[in-house]
Amino acid sequence: MDEEPERAKRWEGGYERTWEVLKEDESGSLKATVEEILFQSKRKRVIESHGQVRLGMMRHLHVVIDCSRSMEDQDLKPNRLTSTLKLLETFVDEYFDQNPISQLGLITTKNKRAEKLTDLAGNPKKHAAALKKAVDTVCLGEPSIYNSLNLAIQTLKHMPGHTSREILIILSSLTTCDPANICELIKTLKSLKVRVSVIGLSAEVRVCTVLTRETGGSYHVILDESHFKELLMLHVKPPPASSSSECSLIRMGFPQHTIASLTDQDAKPSFSMSHLDSSSAPGLSLGGYFCPQCHAKYTELPVECKVCGLTLVSAPHLARSFHHLFPLQAFIESPVEEFQEDRFCQACQGELKDKSIFTCPSCRSVFCVECDLFIHDLLHCCPCCIHSQSAP
Amino acid sequence: MKDVAFIELKTTGHGVLEMPSGTGKTISLLSLIVAYQKAFPLEVTKLIYCSRTVPEIEKVVEELRKLMEFYSKQTGESNNFLALALSSRKNLCIHPEVSALRFGKEVDGKCHSLTASYIRAQRHSTPDVPVCRFYEEFDAVGRQVPLPAGIYNLDDLKDFGRRKGWCPYYLILHANIVVYSYHYLLDPKIADLVSKELAKNSVVVFDEAHNIDNVCIDSMSVNITRRTLDRCHTNVDTLQNTIQKIKETDAAKLKMEYRRLVEGLKEANVARETDVYLANPVLPDEILKEAVPGNIRTAEHFVGFLKRFLEYLKSRLRVQHVVQESAPQFLKDIFDKVCIDRKPLRSVSATLSYFYSFTIIIEPFEDRTPTIANPVLHFSCMDPSIAIKPVFQRFQSVIITSGTLSPLDIYPRILDFRPVTMASFTMTLARTCLCPLVCNYPQTHTFKNTLTLTLVDSVIRNYGNLLLEMSAIVPDGIVAFFTSYVYMENIVASWYEQGILENIQRNKLIFIETPDAAETSMALEKYQEACENGRGAILLSVARGKVSEGIDFVHHFGRAVIMFGVPYVYTQSRILKARLEYLRDQFQIRENDFLTFDAMRHAAQCVGRAIRGKTDYGLMIFADKRYARADKRGKLPRWIQEHINDGSLNLTVDEAVQLSKHFLRQMAQPFRQEDQLGLSLLTLEQLESEEMLQKIAKIAHQT
Repeated sequence: MDEEPERAKRWEGGYERTWEVLKEDESGSLKATVEEILFQSKRKRVIESHGQVRLGMMRHLHVVIDCSRSMEDQDLKPNRLTSTLKLLETFVDEYFDQNPISQLGLITTKNKRAEKLTDLAGNPKKHAAALKKAVDTVCLGEPSIYNSLNLAIQTLKHMPGHTSREILIILSSLTTCDPANICELIKTLKSLKVRVSVIGLSAEVRVCTVLTRETGGSYHVILDESHFKELLMLHVKPPPASSSSECSLIRMGFPQHTIASLTDQDAKPSFSMSHLDSSSAPGLSLGGYFCPQCHAKYTELPVECKVCGLTLVSAPHLARSFHHLFPLQAFIESPVEEFQEDRFCQACQGELKDKSIFTCPSCRSVFCVECDLFIHDLLHCCPCCIHSQSAP
Repeated sequence: MKDVAFIELKTTGHGVLEMPSGTGKTISLLSLIVAYQKAFPLEVTKLIYCSRTVPEIEKVVEELRKLMEFYSKQTGESNNFLALALSSRKNLCIHPEVSALRFGKEVDGKCHSLTASYIRAQRHSTPDVPVCRFYEEFDAVGRQVPLPAGIYNLDDLKDFGRRKGWCPYYLILHANIVVYSYHYLLDPKIADLVSKELAKNSVVVFDEAHNIDNVCIDSMSVNITRRTLDRCHTNVDTLQNTIQKIKETDAAKLKMEYRRLVEGLKEANVARETDVYLANPVLPDEILKEAVPGNIRTAEHFVGFLKRFLEYLKSRLRVQHVVQESAPQFLKDIFDKVCIDRKPLRSVSATLSYFYSFTIIIEPFEDRTPTIANPVLHFSCMDPSIAIKPVFQRFQSVIITSGTLSPLDIYPRILDFRPVTMASFTMTLARTCLCPLVCNYPQTHTFKNTLTLTLVDSVIRNYGNLLLEMSAIVPDGIVAFFTSYVYMENIVASWYEQGILENIQRNKLIFIETPDAAETSMALEKYQEACENGRGAILLSVARGKVSEGIDFVHHFGRAVIMFGVPYVYTQSRILKARLEYLRDQFQIRENDFLTFDAMRHAAQCVGRAIRGKTDYGLMIFADKRYARADKRGKLPRWIQEHINDGSLNLTVDEAVQLSKHFLRQMAQPFRQEDQLGLSLLTLEQLESEEMLQKIAKIAHQT
């Protein structure tokens, strides 16, 4: 649905793309079937996510970025690498927005090796900076899925059992150069309960199908840039936790932000603990979050206390993760002809022009397609319901 | 809930059916015939299902097992069907010594020496002659006792045989369904042993029958080399010695021995291949019944006759130039040179009575090594209908089916029968899962001179580029077919020089099919391994080779098939020339038509390797401009033709790459079973709905 405006902009894509569009028009049935299938899978996804499932709210995700020769291919503009990195930046933002108590790490693979770009950490800025820097990477050689998985396992296997361990591979190449049989590694991954998902940039590769099937991840291949984005965003939502994962109470600290005013004579500037190892940032500041257990100071949340190991979060962070557990119900889709009243969307007040409308099951408000997606993807609550609740 | 493949089959008549592979051809045919058999048990007593290779036979049996399970689940009663798979002695023998032998021929020979009637007769007099106890047991008990109903594949049969102590090879009894290889029905040498007693009202199905004419011809043709003759010579010598010896000891016994000898030369003289034709069911009875001519009636004369004939063949093999003559000429020449009349020869080798359809070709050199003398006498059959005629005459319905039988009308013509139904089915697909592309390379070589393939450098580079580009965008396995081994070697060599191979190897590993079977299967194994673990691989192979015929490249094992050139047969072959001439004279089929037909069926067979079912997908790239021509295109099977539109003709490498990329991405989208529902998969309700019935009627009407 939201692909329509993107597709209209295809003329920007250069002659290859116009060719593709032309081709689709000729054998329209092909495109229609595939789109039909895609739409259905999208609907299914919405329905699926409304079951009562346990979600792994604390996620540890390693993103593996293929930096092999094939990333220089220009079928994504300006090339696959730049496009991927740009999308990943938005992904990282979105990821931490939706999963504030989770962590993320970046790995690149090229020339049969895998390198760590960033360690597992909960700070989006660091990742974004690393991604920006990576644009200039020279793409060469073949990727190695084995090596990158191995590298990811090294850190993931030490993560506590109640968190989810995930790897997301963005694979552009169709081949992998491995030092050993990957089947063994897949078994290890399975026993460690690491979920591996793959987004392919060119075509379906068998080994990825096996890898994702065995580890319970998902495997998708992109059609174009907008589809790529959509697929990436799928991974923002926390996956259902495997039933066998440990279940325990977790100690968390909720430090208050104390701002010492400059007029206060007692206030002394102090170093943040998180700046101890990074030499670049200027350390001294007045206020900050103080760990309720050991009073170490941090400038940003969420973070794991360096001194006592307590997870420090703020209440809004937890609240933001909360909506995954109690998602908004799916709106009822019905053809626009059946709707007798004023044809205006309750949210945007625009006229209902599309062929189907969406009705909130609890307050019977009517929305257009755009607003339905917006409400479900970003707001996570029906505006009309909130409105009627708050009214006296 | 099965495929939309409905056959209006009258059970008295022959038919030709073309259905794309992997659409449930086997199961549809099986279920239809079994249902008919159940409904009219008296009209159809037996189903004979012929397939090509042992794995294919096993597959059919498995399908049958599923069908029977379904039947008993639906009806709730156990059914009394007996179905058997049958293979050569090599695969079935359970005799501890014999089955240890490695080659089929050895096993056959050994088995024969243990079970032949005269050996067994001998055992009555002298009990220390070894015989096969399994066969004895079977002969004593098993002949009358039928097998319990059920489905038996080869292993089951062996198990059963072991348990009972019966020889499984001879177990073919009153089975309702028999599954075996073509040769059991077509090859006169074997058919007589196995298929003689099959009832007239049986239904015969030839599966994977696109090569049936060649099988027929092969089964009737003989090649004689010098080695064969040498062995013959020794055998005749032994025979002579034996006769001499027996004559000295026992004159009466000799007479008896000799009589048997003339009646069943095969037993006395296994190596003389020509003689084996005595067992030919094709031959008119009168020839067999005809009195043995006087000049070969006594042993010495007979041996002398054989020797003379042998000498004659030897002298013919000594020629330095190529000779081609028809059978009457050949006989006359024999008469002139060594004074052998046609009549005695005919009773020895009665195939000659069909001499119009046979040709004798003597080639002093092999084509590959024109300097080393290796004379071969081809005694070659020109008419495939001879071998298959008794099958058509005898059984009430014969069905010929394969994935690639287009154009359908040519098969009835060359096999000389009148089909009641001819139909070509296409696939009903929920998504377009095959993508045929025709690239615009010029004709690459001419066949003006023998084996001087004028390879244009630019064309080779073009081919190389195509493969290189494809190797970068196609995941997992690619299979590339060349027209011949020589051609492939040349091209690969120049690719190596141009550095193309090195570039390709960065994307995928390269494996090459060779004429050596062991090497090829090794390459194939490694190829599959490379596809499995994500490295990706390319298999370079040859159309008409082992890979192109029997091996399926399911899913990731073949995501793309590239056909370099048009796989015409080697047109300089004299056997082929003779055959073409015969076809023109007898069936009014023009040489060109036949050659194109033959080339296209092989091309279709090659590219068809990639698609083995509805969930499978694959690219089919025809890298030759000539495929775009109407005469070539029109000869491809309908299910491929349907998907060739003008947009996929005459593409440059770049265009082909763009199209392929797009196709592969589309195909990689998730595809589930419910997407197929209503299109290519029907539920029972849908099947019974009015609309669908109309649609089916329409399809049936068209065909």
